[in-house]
Amino acid sequence: MLVDFELIKRAQKGDSAAFNEIVLAYRKRILGKITRLIARAEDVEDVAQEVFLRLYFSLDQLRTPEVFEPWLYRLTVNAAYDHLRKQRRRQEFRISDLSEQQVMMADATAGGKVEREEQQQKKIREFVESLLSEVSESDRILLMMKEVEGLSLKELEKVYDVNENALKVRLFRARQRVLKAFGSKEQ
Amino acid sequence: MVPKGGNIDERLDALFRAYRDACPDRDASPNFMPNLWQRIEARQTYAFSFRRMAGAFVTAALALSVALGVYMAVPRGQQPNAPQSYIEALSEAQPLDAPDIVGPVSLDLSDARN
Repeated sequence: MLVDFELIKRAQKGDSAAFNEIVLAYRKRILGKITRLIARAEDVEDVAQEVFLRLYFSLDQLRTPEVFEPWLYRLTVNAAYDHLRKQRRRQEFRISDLSEQQVMMADATAGGKVEREEQQQKKIREFVESLLSEVSESDRILLMMKEVEGLSLKELEKVYDVNENALKVRLFRARQRVLKAFGSKEQ
Repeated sequence: MVPKGGNIDERLDALFRAYRDACPDRDASPNFMPNLWQRIEARQTYAFSFRRMAGAFVTAALALSVALGVYMAVPRGQQPNAPQSYIEALSEAQPLDAPDIVGPVSLDLSDARN
């Protein structure tokens, strides 16, 4: 826990300063999680604000401060899921739609070590993004929370409020799909 | 870009680790908190005006119910010969001794014989 229970209780009673402290404590972590979940840097702050907005208006429903972190992650997962669904509807043009040749040409134009590293990281993000497009938005988020965020099944059980076996089945199926896509893209 | 070596499961795990490194935790822009509070206040204003509208609607509905109740409860003067019910109105309009209803049926069969 990055904050103490007393601070959460104060925020629950409507103390704006306490809420501010909570946001400041978790802001960086939540921004990082959202960056990895939605993979669109320009929308990350907007989604993070939505998470804290939902937190502000639902904090009084939190029965025990002990479950604050799973609660906050659940809000993060839900906000990221809503964003991904909206994004799919918008059907925006993405760089991942470019051919490998076009990406290589973009690489060639970028000079310098930092640019090359950034390009390399961008390509990894694009590649993972293209693999994750093989699964639904909800499975994508579940897979990211497990494989990238490193949450255990016990932690995921608290976030999703679903039993461990059901989570295992969903995770297995999602991973199999991603593996299949990974295998075919490697060839 | 794609990690080499190991089986496909290990390579996928390595790719997820590389993805984790490619998306490090980041700090927010200076506008993050002001924008957040702006959104909270906007939502609160919206919720407040919605509550006020809902309250006004409930009050109006309650007032209308009370007015209708009072209207229905007040006894109104009736016309001396006004019918009281449907049956009474029917019997008054077409009494049983009216010839067009209770009179014997007569058939003219002269045309049929010819």
